[in-house]
Amino acid sequence: MVDRTVVRRALIGLTLLSTLASAQRQEAIDRLTIVAPAAPGGGWDQTARAMQRALEDEGLVRTVDVENVPGAAGTVGLAQFINAAPSDQAALLVTGLVMVGAVVFNDSPVSLSQTTPIARLTGEYEVIAVPTASPIRDMRDLIARFRGGPAAVSWGGGSAGGTDHILAGLIATAAGVDPRLVNYIAFSGGGEAATAALGGQVTVAISGYAEFAPHIQSAQLRALAISAPTPQTGVEAPPLSHAGIDVTLANWRGLVARPHISDDMRRRLTETIARMSQSVSWQRTLEQRGWSDQFLAGADFQRFLDDERLRVTRISRALKPSGPLGAAPARVFPAVVFGGSFVVAVALLLDGLRSARRNPIGRQTIPIHRGSLLLIVIGLGLYASLLTIGGFVIASTALFWMVAVAFDRTRWLRDVAVAVVFSTLLYVLFTQGLGLSLPAGRFAAWIH
Amino acid sequence: MDSLSALADGFAVALSTRNLLWGFAGVTLGTFVGVLPGIGPALTIALLLPATYTLDPIAAFIMFAGIYYGAMYGGSTTAILLNTPGESGSIMSAIEGHLMARAGRGGAALATAAIGSFVAGTLATAALTVCAPALVTAALRFGPPEYFALAVLAFLAVSSTVGGSAIRGFASLFFGLLLGLVGIDRLSGEARLTFGIPALLDGIDPVVFVVGLFAVGEVLHVATTRSSGEGHIVPVVGSLWMTREEWRRSWKPWLRGTLIGFPLGALPAGGAEIPTLISYSVEQRLTNRREEFGQGAIEGVAGPEAANNASAAGTLVPLLTLGLPTSATGAVLLAAFQQYGLQPGPLLFQHEPRLVWGLIASLYVGNAMLLLLNLPLVGLWVRLLSIPRRLLYAGILTLASLGAYSVNRSPFHVALTYAIGAAGFAMRRFSMPLAPAVIGLILGPLAEQQLRRSLAIGGSPMILFTRPISAVLLLFALGLIVATVFWPRFKTDSRS
Repeated sequence: MVDRTVVRRALIGLTLLSTLASAQRQEAIDRLTIVAPAAPGGGWDQTARAMQRALEDEGLVRTVDVENVPGAAGTVGLAQFINAAPSDQAALLVTGLVMVGAVVFNDSPVSLSQTTPIARLTGEYEVIAVPTASPIRDMRDLIARFRGGPAAVSWGGGSAGGTDHILAGLIATAAGVDPRLVNYIAFSGGGEAATAALGGQVTVAISGYAEFAPHIQSAQLRALAISAPTPQTGVEAPPLSHAGIDVTLANWRGLVARPHISDDMRRRLTETIARMSQSVSWQRTLEQRGWSDQFLAGADFQRFLDDERLRVTRISRALKPSGPLGAAPARVFPAVVFGGSFVVAVALLLDGLRSARRNPIGRQTIPIHRGSLLLIVIGLGLYASLLTIGGFVIASTALFWMVAVAFDRTRWLRDVAVAVVFSTLLYVLFTQGLGLSLPAGRFAAWIH
Repeated sequence: MDSLSALADGFAVALSTRNLLWGFAGVTLGTFVGVLPGIGPALTIALLLPATYTLDPIAAFIMFAGIYYGAMYGGSTTAILLNTPGESGSIMSAIEGHLMARAGRGGAALATAAIGSFVAGTLATAALTVCAPALVTAALRFGPPEYFALAVLAFLAVSSTVGGSAIRGFASLFFGLLLGLVGIDRLSGEARLTFGIPALLDGIDPVVFVVGLFAVGEVLHVATTRSSGEGHIVPVVGSLWMTREEWRRSWKPWLRGTLIGFPLGALPAGGAEIPTLISYSVEQRLTNRREEFGQGAIEGVAGPEAANNASAAGTLVPLLTLGLPTSATGAVLLAAFQQYGLQPGPLLFQHEPRLVWGLIASLYVGNAMLLLLNLPLVGLWVRLLSIPRRLLYAGILTLASLGAYSVNRSPFHVALTYAIGAAGFAMRRFSMPLAPAVIGLILGPLAEQQLRRSLAIGGSPMILFTRPISAVLLLFALGLIVATVFWPRFKTDSRS
């Protein structure tokens, strides 16, 4: 997808020159932590790891560590990032539109406004599509039907509160329909939404363009509109504005730094990321992944982020089911489970009483060896508490030893040695072999 | 046939020395991580993803496919020998498999698992070659109401099939369902039962649950009852390999397992839980040695293991043709495709024939490699049992803790795993079956989401009964209830 990259690059060049001039020779960042608020493999993780490679390959930062803090559409990572002990160490959090919406949708106690904005990196436009055989001809037709009876149009897309849901809400608002009336059916992602549309389960499907592209190119789905401001090369669908819907939305990804960092650190981070975004290695990554370059930094990004937060917050509040009626569907299943659990518990109790009466001595059970149980419980407690403080090897040794001793108390001395060897072996195998980062603790520092 | 010549080209790609080596590296690594509780193919591939960036995509995918299949083979090993399955796919084979191991037939159980996996993997890959597009068309007919009905059927089947008492089965199921409620509701954004703990917002990870319930619970159980001979495993009685009798009893379950596993795996809801469970309960009802179920019946290992591997091949159907990942590993593989700028979907077969057919061919090759690798290993794995028990179980618990930590790299998840382990220990004491809890945890959220989607689409619960497939599935479920309530003998009275 085309962007006005040339203009933007020139602007970046100018900002760069000015920052360079003002700060003279900036010392490079030696060590940078990038927090990906998602599990390995997800979009934010891929961004973080691609950055890691680009920054290291280009020699912009000597060591880049990627840390995954998954959970609740990035809000767990955001909270941890904001609440970390204040320091002026170089750290960045990968963020994006989804996180802006999730903060509202998940009632997160923290907000992106607490962080220091650095830059927007990439963006992807959304596409609205119907199955090829659908009677809906174009976007205007869809809007007309939607206005006529909002309940009759079901919109399939990704998780509730995510980009696709936000777009459905924005379209409804622009079409003059109460966003609360959108019959939005949340699936786990674009792939599932496309499948639901192909199977005729939903009327329209919304997702990022890349996810629907194969279905559109093979003429199974028909794109009605794209959420970009202008027509995009390679995409047949017109922008939403052509159907009189004045909405644009990009699923962008960007970076923020910790709260209250020094101006110097902010400048160095911005400059490093600006350089990275122009580097050959980053540009090659963008091309390879099909990510479109939407780099924006400094005051422009700050303004963009503020605007985006305002508009997304407003629509997310409207979309979030509230009140006794709106939240009712979310209560039915838990009520059934609670009720069922209660019935089963009573049945279990009655069954137990009955068998106790029949056999007053009680069921023949194998007696528990209490000492062993205690030793293992101590071992588990030691492991959970020592893991971050003492490091993996010490915690593992303690656990291994405790369990071994719980089984056989006579060989405790020899088992210490086995435990140390086993734990060290595991540590080396997993950190070196699989690249899994385990807490090193003092033990590793002592070796080095 | 077009696909046959394309497959021949695929073999040319897969059989190049370089790709064979990558495939071998993949299956070896996969077997290794599959054996470890909690460290599965999804995590391994995700961790290797950045490292393979510079690799040729075909080589990378051949290795990933090897890891995926290898983990399926390896996963059954510890499940059978030590009753510590590391992922949900090998839970059903652990039930009879471990009982066999306790009776000195561990070697035969491992062999029937390995050969069954090979048979199922190969047949399912053949089915993938021939009828992937047709399957997709059929799978699209499965909408939310059908998935909900399938989940309900699975709930009833597991609670009444596994273990001796239906009440205990349901108690275990509801324990899983309750824990499945934890986390943010995907359809409304509401946090449920999280008690203000951010680490619970995404719910309880199935890996944490399985590792806690099985591995941690088992170690606690064995350690505290060891003086009574509990957990004492006889290494080998009679032949290490399968006897002629065991062969005769295994081949039909292998084929039935394949027939059950592949189509269910190919459905866009995926997962190995439903196919392995259905295979187990089918074998239990078809066998003429029902009394052996609950004592270590080889059919109960052969069927679910075949179903597990066939469903793994099945999950590649929606992944390759619809771009739809239906398992954790599928999701990571999708990310791998995207890393190379490829978007799986209907056009992948046309745009990247070398990659797709090379990948499919490498599945055949990988299966053969795995059989060659695993059969000789059976002897070695069985020898695991002669490691002194104190060191063996200490090692298991250490590895399980590492697995639990690696899921989210958080000590909280380690503590959660231990708490679930304590529950697993208690359930063993009260002879409650464990499998229904896992089914409840994994399928509970799925059932809820699909039910609510059905209601949003159809407007009323009638949609569940007016659509033919879901109506038939619900009818089956009703039949199962009636049978369990009115003819208690219908259920096998295995462990009393």
